[in-house]
Amino acid sequence: MTEGRGKRGQTVVRCVEVTKRFGSFEALRKVSVEVRAGEVVCIIGPSGGGKSTFLRTLNGLESIEEGEIHVLDVRLPAGKREIERLRREVGMVFQSFNLFLHMSVRANLTLAPTTALGLSKAEANERAKRLLTRVGIEEQIDKYPGQLSGGQQQRVAIARALAMEPKIMLFDEPTSSLDPEMVNEVLDVIRGLAESGMTMLVVTHEMGFAREVADRVLFITDGQILVDAPPAEFFGRPTDERQAAFLSKIL
Amino acid sequence: MLGYGGQTESHDRTWGQNALFAAFAIGLAGLLAYQVNWELIGSLDFSVVWEYRLPLLKGLGTTLFLTAIAGVLGIFFGTILAILSQSPFAPLRWAVVAYVEVFRNTPLLVQLIWLHFALPAFTGINTTALESGILAITLQAGAYFTEIVRAGIEAVPKGQWEAAYALGLPDWTRWTRVILPPALRIMIPPLVNLIISFFKASAILSILQVSELMTVTNRISNVTFKPIELFTATAAIYFVLGYIMSQATLRIERVLQRSQR
Amino acid sequence: MRFETHQLAQHYPLLFEGLRITLTICALSLAFGIVIGLVACFGKLRERGIAYRIAVIYIDFFRTIPEVVLIFWVYSCLPLMLSLRISAEASGVIALTLFASAYLAEIFRAGILAVPRGQIEAALALGVPSLHIWIRVILQPAIRRMMPALVSFLTELIKATSLLSAIGVAEMAYQASVLGSKTFAYVEFLSAIGVLYFIIIFPLSIYARRAERRLVSRTAN
Repeated sequence: MTEGRGKRGQTVVRCVEVTKRFGSFEALRKVSVEVRAGEVVCIIGPSGGGKSTFLRTLNGLESIEEGEIHVLDVRLPAGKREIERLRREVGMVFQSFNLFLHMSVRANLTLAPTTALGLSKAEANERAKRLLTRVGIEEQIDKYPGQLSGGQQQRVAIARALAMEPKIMLFDEPTSSLDPEMVNEVLDVIRGLAESGMTMLVVTHEMGFAREVADRVLFITDGQILVDAPPAEFFGRPTDERQAAFLSKIL
Repeated sequence: MLGYGGQTESHDRTWGQNALFAAFAIGLAGLLAYQVNWELIGSLDFSVVWEYRLPLLKGLGTTLFLTAIAGVLGIFFGTILAILSQSPFAPLRWAVVAYVEVFRNTPLLVQLIWLHFALPAFTGINTTALESGILAITLQAGAYFTEIVRAGIEAVPKGQWEAAYALGLPDWTRWTRVILPPALRIMIPPLVNLIISFFKASAILSILQVSELMTVTNRISNVTFKPIELFTATAAIYFVLGYIMSQATLRIERVLQRSQR
Repeated sequence: MRFETHQLAQHYPLLFEGLRITLTICALSLAFGIVIGLVACFGKLRERGIAYRIAVIYIDFFRTIPEVVLIFWVYSCLPLMLSLRISAEASGVIALTLFASAYLAEIFRAGILAVPRGQIEAALALGVPSLHIWIRVILQPAIRRMMPALVSFLTELIKATSLLSAIGVAEMAYQASVLGSKTFAYVEFLSAIGVLYFIIIFPLSIYARRAERRLVSRTAN
């Protein structure tokens, strides 16, 4: 187990021999890994290798066939109530933003806090304003997602996840469907979040970002974690053939 | 519908719905058990359907004949009107629109009795029930088909027209080689669906005793006093034929979709 | 021929009484149809199991048989089978409810399935309770999406009520044909109800077409 940048925390995610199948296809094969509080873990690998599936098992968006996952105090697989409780403490940001298209930015940010946490409208509203200021788009609060640029939409999506005050954040290729000129505004927000000490798992193709921000880099392909190393080591001295091939293609 | 990832998901997410369905089923079953006249149902004698198979088949023949008329004449009028609706002469376009809207936005039954009882006051020609029926179903089919053909023609991208003009293709070649083939592909599924709906609608002509399947069923039922057997059998005939037709349409749609790629 | 307006002037209250019955029957069968249609829709959405199979058969059956057959079946067979007395009006409402629920179930299903998977996943990932997911994230946009189909079906339902004249329900078409045969002023009465039907149905279908076009252009962007 690698310690990152002197951060030390309890283990908040622990996967034990997790196997996920889609029909006869094994998307994850006996994956075991641990993440500690405050760590930033970047997940890298070729598409179709199981990165997103792995991330989606952590908040129960994908069920698992074998093994178990401990996230915070919940042990997966679990019942609906447990999973709902877990999801309130684990935020997720999607590649395609998935903002609620028929709701204003304000309603996007207040829906979950008011219905799941029981916040009053006013409290949720205050929180929404604060978070939108934090991601730099407070003036867009009454617009609809369709009126925003991709970068702005993704920042709203991050704010929406933060509105639940999660303990862990999952990012599923947060910049992959953005135009190049908008990638940085989103990465800046994620970077800021990392510096604030949030525990994060980020599936990404942005190698520069991973090298700079990550405490650890996981290389996932064919449903397995082949490499788990600090970024300097990961990018400096590839230990696996497939990892070397992947890096030579990308860098 | 709402996927929960846990292994107990199917239990968790559906028990509320299960309860709803169960309550519905129990309520219905209770009503049936309590109210149904089982004695009567036990004494049903479907041999009457076999006994009157010939008139029933003849009625079915008339139904299919009416469907075919609605299809063939409807497509014929519809195509002509659709082409007229592209005319540069505005009153002609308005006339087509008025015709289409009137026949699409009033009930077929009202059109039918109007044509049968009111029209002769203008023309002085008394039509038989069958003639009125054919007239009504053809006129309505024509209105619906006009819309479909027009939508098909208008869905052909403008660039296709422009390319055909730019190449100086003659009218005939432009229509038959450039515009109609893609338009036809768009039109075929709604055309077939419409023909199925006129198969259903032909039963409305029984109002005028047009000797199609529904009229025949009514008549036999009045003679034999066996409405349950006869209406159930007729419903089954309509269902089987209609179901086969709509499954065939789905198949056609799928083939067309695949060939489009 | 002369258009005998005095016949209309004398008998128009009966036509409006017919119109009232037409609209009442329409409203009742729409309301019952929505309830049963929702149950059938959720049955079919499950994609397997007994409820699914029953829902599929129910929807296919009542969408495929002609409305006239359904009306006569309910009117002349159901009372015998249930040994109940069922009035012509009630038979009409039952038949049109069966008809409407089957079509509405498919309209609801299409609207719900058109909600992108990602919208639901986002709400799940936030831990929004399922009741709120259904109301705010699935049904709210789904209802907006199904409005054109819903209104367009309503026009079909209004047209279908005219078929109830065949079993003697005193709705608009029935009143007009009775008045016509009594006074021989067929042209006047039948034209009058033709106009009435058109006045009710035409705005609805214009709305449905406009809304449909708006929807298509919005999803195309």
